[in-house]
Amino acid sequence: MGLLRYTLWRLAQAIPVLIGIITITFFLANQIPGDPVEIMLGPSPAQEQVEAIRARYGLDRPAYQRFLTYLAGVATGDLGQSIYYDRPVLEMILLRLPVTLYLTVSAFIFAIVTAIPLGVISAKRRNKPADHVSRIVSLIGVSTPSFWIGLMLIIVFAFYLGWFPARGLPLPWASPADIRGAETQLQVVRTSLYHLAMPMVALGTLQMAQITRIERSSMVESLQGEYVKLARAYGVSESKIVRKHAFQVAQLPVITIVGLGLSTALGGAVLTETVFEIQGMGRLIITAINNQDYELIMGTTFMFGVAFVIGVIITDVAYAYIDPRVAYGDES
Amino acid sequence: MATETDSATDGSADTEGTGAGEIEARVGLRYTLRQVKRDTTARIGIYTVGAITLVALLASIDYYVFDYGVAEMIWYSPVQDPEQVRRLLPPVGMENQYGQGTLEHPMGTDHRGRDIFGRLFYGTRIAITVGFMATAIGLVGGTLIGAVSGYYGGWIDDVLQRVTETIYAIPFLVLVIAFMTAFGRDLSFAMIGVGITSIPVFNRLIRSRVVSVREEDYIEAARAAGVKDRNIILRHVIPNSFAPVLVQATLQIGVSILIVAGLSFLGFGAQPPTPSWGQMLSASRNYMLPAPTFSLFPGIAILITVIGFNILGDGLQDALDPRINN
Repeated sequence: MGLLRYTLWRLAQAIPVLIGIITITFFLANQIPGDPVEIMLGPSPAQEQVEAIRARYGLDRPAYQRFLTYLAGVATGDLGQSIYYDRPVLEMILLRLPVTLYLTVSAFIFAIVTAIPLGVISAKRRNKPADHVSRIVSLIGVSTPSFWIGLMLIIVFAFYLGWFPARGLPLPWASPADIRGAETQLQVVRTSLYHLAMPMVALGTLQMAQITRIERSSMVESLQGEYVKLARAYGVSESKIVRKHAFQVAQLPVITIVGLGLSTALGGAVLTETVFEIQGMGRLIITAINNQDYELIMGTTFMFGVAFVIGVIITDVAYAYIDPRVAYGDES
Repeated sequence: MATETDSATDGSADTEGTGAGEIEARVGLRYTLRQVKRDTTARIGIYTVGAITLVALLASIDYYVFDYGVAEMIWYSPVQDPEQVRRLLPPVGMENQYGQGTLEHPMGTDHRGRDIFGRLFYGTRIAITVGFMATAIGLVGGTLIGAVSGYYGGWIDDVLQRVTETIYAIPFLVLVIAFMTAFGRDLSFAMIGVGITSIPVFNRLIRSRVVSVREEDYIEAARAAGVKDRNIILRHVIPNSFAPVLVQATLQIGVSILIVAGLSFLGFGAQPPTPSWGQMLSASRNYMLPAPTFSLFPGIAILITVIGFNILGDGLQDALDPRINN
């Protein structure tokens, strides 16, 4: 029961944060110089035309009124109208968001699957060659720009070896009719995974390196715990100690770092999508900015915030699931 | 909030349990320097960062004082297009469709025939300036907010923490892009933007330290002796958090350099023809097939610089963490 109430409580806590995000994005969007109407109609448009557009998008009203309208709109799921695409902002976001989530979640799966063994081995063989290799790999990983990894992967694996395609990211559940060279759903999935490989590695490397570092230090600490000493004294085999006793406890800080890493990863998705020309949220926000599409800028920024907040809540709940003290402690 | 408490201890050197007498000896610049000299990793970090900073300094002098005069005299201007355009040459000893690499251009030339090595050299200025400035903004802002918030507690704490949490809730690259769209696309706004997004990091670090330091006897004593709150914060509370903040700041410089490179890559930041690494990578995207080395070198420059700061940060952490020394 504690877990459910904790989840609801965390969701309720997110509401003021979301209102805060809307306030910040609205304030920033309001500061943007230039006139979106001009961009839409071209230079020297007719006066009535300008007025009509202004009235249609509510640009003729004072800022606080527009803010309250916008806030009410968001509450009812209306993020406004994209001037550039001439479609509802929410529709554009729902079109692009799955691509970004697909990319980001895959990057995290890649990161976790590679980082946990690396970190555990590193901790088990502390200060031995395997540890040094893993530490150097993770040091390079946290120091390399993700978009540069993307460029290097494209040069080597797309241009020279020709193993993976350099641009685009079709979703695995897309209809076969939309994907060139695919007839069955299975082929779509295959094509999608081929497109996914390089962006996933480019975006996931930083997370991989960070998780490896935390996993290592957390495992080192956990392996020095009293319960590990006790298990050793009882004659439990070393591999079982690592697998059963030390490992679980050591995962708590890892969950935290995954939650915080989401912020970097969602931001990094903007870069990765640029490098691989993927039509996701990242490209959407850049397009919105380049065309001064206020409502689309606000909508995408807000959605990035929502994605991060939800991600953090999921990791917090996962944390509480593993360590129930969190859920019960916070309730009082 | 599991997320908050755990990340706060992430970079902090815990001085608890070492006894009150030792705590006094374990803070301050002199102690730090002594520890750093002993630690090999920290020394390697110092040398790397020192060398890069020296390059940045030389480049800055040439830029501000001589307007690239020195570069033009002994070599090539990193900003002006050369008279004899030899575009997209490969590095020394390599060959591509545009010709053969020569010693004249050790790393080849870019799409406008400018020397890549020269542009990398002068790009160091941007990276280092941005890294230090952005971190300084985050450090000062975060320290003030965190110290005030932790020291006073109550509603001040609540309000300040909610605000920084909100800043933190937008993925920071997206936030900086939105910020720069609103205020300006050039480098100074990149620095301010990245600085603002790093405020929550320092805020959290300082606040958690202050909350624990606040109850210490010597703070009580200072308060009883009539020392002003502001002086207690500035003279006692902040200096006591010196070690973890120094470690975090060093790491943050590396992070800032990475973010600003990413921003330049997207077209937010130093505008052409000013040489910056991110912008060079952005330009190189159109020439990845004929001249792959054009994309290679700027990335390596970023990598070496950020690694330098990360090694230094790790070394500082080891050197200043009493748990490891004991």
